[in-house]
Amino acid sequence: MNTMSDPILDIRGLTVTFGGGPKPVRALDGVDLALGRGEVIALLGESGSGKSVTLRSILRLHPPKRSRIEGSIKVEGIDVTSLEGRALESFRGKTVSMVFQEPMLAMDPVYTVGQQITEAVRNHEKISAADARARALEMLTLVRIPSPARRLAAHPHGMSGGMRQRAMTALALASKPRILRADEPTTALHAPVQVPILLLLRELQRELGLSMIFVTHDISVAVEVADRIAVMYAGRIVETGTVRDVIRTPRHPYTIGLLSTRAHGGRLEGHRLPAIPGSPPDLANLPPGCAFAPRCAIAADACRASVPEPIDLGSGHRVRCFRTAETVNKVAALAPAATS
Amino acid sequence: MASDTVMTRAPAAAQATGSEPVRPLLEAADLVKHFPIKSGLLGRSNAVVRAVDGVTFSLYPGETLGIVGESGCGKSTTARVLMNLIKPDSGNVLLNGRAPGTPELSLKAFRSQVQMVFQDSYASLNPRLTVEDSIAYGPTVHGVSGSDAVRRARRLLDRVGLDPRRFAGRYPHELSGGQRQRVNIARALALEPKVIILDEAVSALDKSVEAQVLNLLLDLKEEIGLTYIFISHDLEVVRFIANRVMVMYLGRVAEIGPTDALYTGGRHPYTTALLGSMLSMDPDERTMEAPLAGDPPNPIDPPPGCRFHTRCSFAESVCSAKTPVLTVSGTGHFTACHMVDPGSGHSKAAA
Repeated sequence: MNTMSDPILDIRGLTVTFGGGPKPVRALDGVDLALGRGEVIALLGESGSGKSVTLRSILRLHPPKRSRIEGSIKVEGIDVTSLEGRALESFRGKTVSMVFQEPMLAMDPVYTVGQQITEAVRNHEKISAADARARALEMLTLVRIPSPARRLAAHPHGMSGGMRQRAMTALALASKPRILRADEPTTALHAPVQVPILLLLRELQRELGLSMIFVTHDISVAVEVADRIAVMYAGRIVETGTVRDVIRTPRHPYTIGLLSTRAHGGRLEGHRLPAIPGSPPDLANLPPGCAFAPRCAIAADACRASVPEPIDLGSGHRVRCFRTAETVNKVAALAPAATS
Repeated sequence: MASDTVMTRAPAAAQATGSEPVRPLLEAADLVKHFPIKSGLLGRSNAVVRAVDGVTFSLYPGETLGIVGESGCGKSTTARVLMNLIKPDSGNVLLNGRAPGTPELSLKAFRSQVQMVFQDSYASLNPRLTVEDSIAYGPTVHGVSGSDAVRRARRLLDRVGLDPRRFAGRYPHELSGGQRQRVNIARALALEPKVIILDEAVSALDKSVEAQVLNLLLDLKEEIGLTYIFISHDLEVVRFIANRVMVMYLGRVAEIGPTDALYTGGRHPYTTALLGSMLSMDPDERTMEAPLAGDPPNPIDPPPGCRFHTRCSFAESVCSAKTPVLTVSGTGHFTACHMVDPGSGHSKAAA
């Protein structure tokens, strides 16, 4: 898969600052991200890490008056930051589409699923209402909704959580986008409902050759769907690489902490989880150096003085850390978590 | 009735964790809670949601009982009925053999011994009270003098890892989610309870903070000798923290047993499917098929017989005809499945 020479999405030095509050909040700071054609990247991070801000920046969904966006976002060579009016509207949905976490909030409660998909299709293509309805039916079939013809007339509230997420996916795919962005699409779902949705997204991605950015806070979900993982912390990508590299040989202390802090397997008496101390920093008062330094067990003076630049460890495994010499073979407890 | 089976056999469950039969601390006997659905102009109810439909279990001193199941299975309603926040339609809750709200155990005395921590750390604190006042509120209501209650609040803040000199005077919005959940835990401890019900108490926290709070809960349990009911959708976390696990499906108990026995040898097909949906964390062992098809049926009109039979690959005619009762399937391990019940008529059951 030689895709990186011509990425479908290329983000360089993206910095997003929100005003409006007492102090400007730097939500993203120098994010570089390239998405290859047909590739799936998982953006992994906690609340406030900047993963959703990155996702929204790609569609220019931030309020223009209260946000300052620096850097460049190119989709198929077109600079998104310069799009205006009609061009921006057609770009949204047509080129890049989105699956949200809460389909109940993302869909309109007073229209049927069929009406919503039909409307989305006709906004982007000049086709007859009948053809658009046929497309809606085709989409519901594609996302494997049982008795799709009947579901066209269903309202969102009349469907179960898993079914709604499928309908949401159908809606996102109806205008045949090339990039699909998914914002925690399975977070609101319980495990037994989550698995079929993950399988569906993975299959559709492969069948349709979609490029996908998948935002999640759950590493195990990222492992299921992604080719590459980008770990975010306090508005920066701190580690990125193939799923195998990031999971098996993580090199950033934060990634290592996240992986070892996961509860899995039974607990022996007196055993405790290796927790990362402290809590994520306030984005309005970031420390001058590495944002993770105050919580990091191996932070040195250099870490508190300046922000580390990404270091390439080979095969696209990049880490923003001064102390990578100390983080070789540091990951603990990575035995598969399945019931053994 | 399912309840009799468990009530008589309940002491056996204690033997799994201790040496001699222990008296349960908290007992739930055949709890039923149906919510009427009102519709029409006159608000007449013509259907009910069978949120909890005959739930029986015992909680033993010093243990952590995990409750798992999909949304709508009745986990949270069970917790609220246990807490006496909603009244059951039938069945009862006993603390040390006494029913709350009776002359021998007033509701107030019951509440001081059974406390709860909710999922939403912000909504469960009064935004206009400082965290110190929130924690001191309960003890004051229970007759502790104001200055003693404040002293207790400060000691508890310190105990849950929040320096009282920095945090006592803060309001909930000035704290992070993890810090607020520590305050909620301190508040639950303020009346020196025996049982704490944790309803998705760590689910809203970031993973790095979740581990800290889980460790705190384990420390407190050992130091103070607490007993927990831990409700969660996170099967990994439940496996880590619970001694026993109860699996619920559509308002009923499908299976209950020691954590290891259940996670390594669950006997109910629903338990197997539920645990099979845990992700592997191994890029070379990705999940290739869903262990469970479809969504849970509507609790307004649950399927007859075994409620799981519509999604179960082992279902036979007996499963839709007869409701399975909890049957011993191991030491302290009970399963409500016809395949486990000898003589049930299921082809996979022992004759």
